[in-house]
Amino acid sequence: MNYNEVTRRYFESPANVGELSGPGVFRGAAGKREEGTWVQFDLQCVSGTLQAARFLAFACPHTIAVSAWLAEQSVGKTVTRTLPESVQELRDRFDVPVDKMGRLLIIEDAWLAAAVPAIDYRG
Amino acid sequence: MSAPSMTAASAAVYLDHASTTPVDARVALAMAEVLNSETEFGNPASVSHDYGDIAGSLVEQARRQVAAAVGAGPGEVVWTSGATEANNLALFGVAHYYRERGRHIVTARTEHKAVLDPCRELERRGWQITYLIPDRDGLLDPNQVAAALRTDTVLVSIMHVNNEIGVVQNIGAIAAMCARHGSAWLHVDAAQSVGKCPIDFAGLGVDLMSLSGHKVYGPKGVGALVVSERKDGPRGGRVQLAPLVYGGGQERGLRAGTLATHQIVGMGLAFELAASISSTETVRIARLQRRLWQGLASIGGALRNGSATHSVPHLLNVSFEGVEGESLLAAVRPHLAVSTGSACNSALAEPSYVLRALGRGERLSESSLRFGLGRTTTDADIDTAIAVLSREVPRLRNIAGTQSARATSALPAP
Repeated sequence: MNYNEVTRRYFESPANVGELSGPGVFRGAAGKREEGTWVQFDLQCVSGTLQAARFLAFACPHTIAVSAWLAEQSVGKTVTRTLPESVQELRDRFDVPVDKMGRLLIIEDAWLAAAVPAIDYRG
Repeated sequence: MSAPSMTAASAAVYLDHASTTPVDARVALAMAEVLNSETEFGNPASVSHDYGDIAGSLVEQARRQVAAAVGAGPGEVVWTSGATEANNLALFGVAHYYRERGRHIVTARTEHKAVLDPCRELERRGWQITYLIPDRDGLLDPNQVAAALRTDTVLVSIMHVNNEIGVVQNIGAIAAMCARHGSAWLHVDAAQSVGKCPIDFAGLGVDLMSLSGHKVYGPKGVGALVVSERKDGPRGGRVQLAPLVYGGGQERGLRAGTLATHQIVGMGLAFELAASISSTETVRIARLQRRLWQGLASIGGALRNGSATHSVPHLLNVSFEGVEGESLLAAVRPHLAVSTGSACNSALAEPSYVLRALGRGERLSESSLRFGLGRTTTDADIDTAIAVLSREVPRLRNIAGTQSARATSALPAP
């Protein structure tokens, strides 16, 4: 399978890999390793703003790249009830094949599982 | 349309010799001589002029070379377009010729698709197929074959060297079981065997054997089915086949079509060269394989697939715990040309059915790599492979959060 430049870059050198702990950290995960795709986000928020983000992913290169990009790009932004970029926009940015759309939905589920509880957190 | 290009500087280390091999320079030269010759272009079947006789003599010389390499008689070699066609000819040929005697075939779940797919098609047409399950090392017990034979069994098809894990089946013992039972012909897919381990077609008591040119540093597009001329076969005579291709009567009526002289010359020389490879080359490959396995094992969480003792040294198949299959292949692809145990390039990923048959779970089947060592493989290539995987496997485990537990199966369900 061929990957576009941004996918390969974020797959080969993903920043923000790992976990967070402490006050204001919200964790969300989706998928199952046993089924081939699992994603976890740790989001640290203060007054609705994302201070730090980390991710783990047992997944294909597209899923790792998208997760890494989200964790990197979202810091400093307001947490909302949606992904920072829509599934369709992510698909276009990373040139995700149509038969992998389900994996983007797993990323969305993991992100929102962490983000939604964080919205109203004021520390 | 232009093909993907690859500069020498960016070329990945080629460790996929089980998939195909580069054409030996001597083979390429011999083929080119045929193609460029003003006297060797004739139709080998043309007996009315010297051009045909010259081409025909080249074909017969190659037939002798191939026969000698596998311990068969020249008259037993039937040219095909490759091992896939040879397998199809063996399976459909026996099935249809003996359809009034019986419609049962025995094979194994770990056979190549070129055997399994024809078996599925025969099932669709009304034949019954028994698929034997090997042990966890990939080995069949010859008694399994004996137990599967029925009065209506017409064919047993078992490969010699497995193309994914390199395991060598005990063909001699299986042949003895077939002979003792007395009803079934034995076909052996030996596409991966030549040049890797000794083959004695006559001595083994095999009735049909499939061979490939391009696995042995010969050209693609040519192979052979060796058809025994023994008259004391289990049915009381020599094995008979219904042809797949009609139109000219070439190859004793078993495979019509004008023979590709240059391809056949290439395969003949490739087999002669393979048979002459000294035992020191096998020792060299075995040493490289041991070194590769030791290096990969030191990463941790590396599981060898298939028997380590009943296998050829040219193949090593390893699953890596805690790593997702497509990511593993993507991580190594810029550096290593290897095969994956998974067709994991889409949501419809299909883990290796061979590894699944050995009892490997879906994830471990997907996260396997097949290393095919060959004549061009060097110590430096092995060093590169070890270095790449020693870097990429821990990196992917770190991303996956599996670096400490390693075993995917041992992790709590997220």
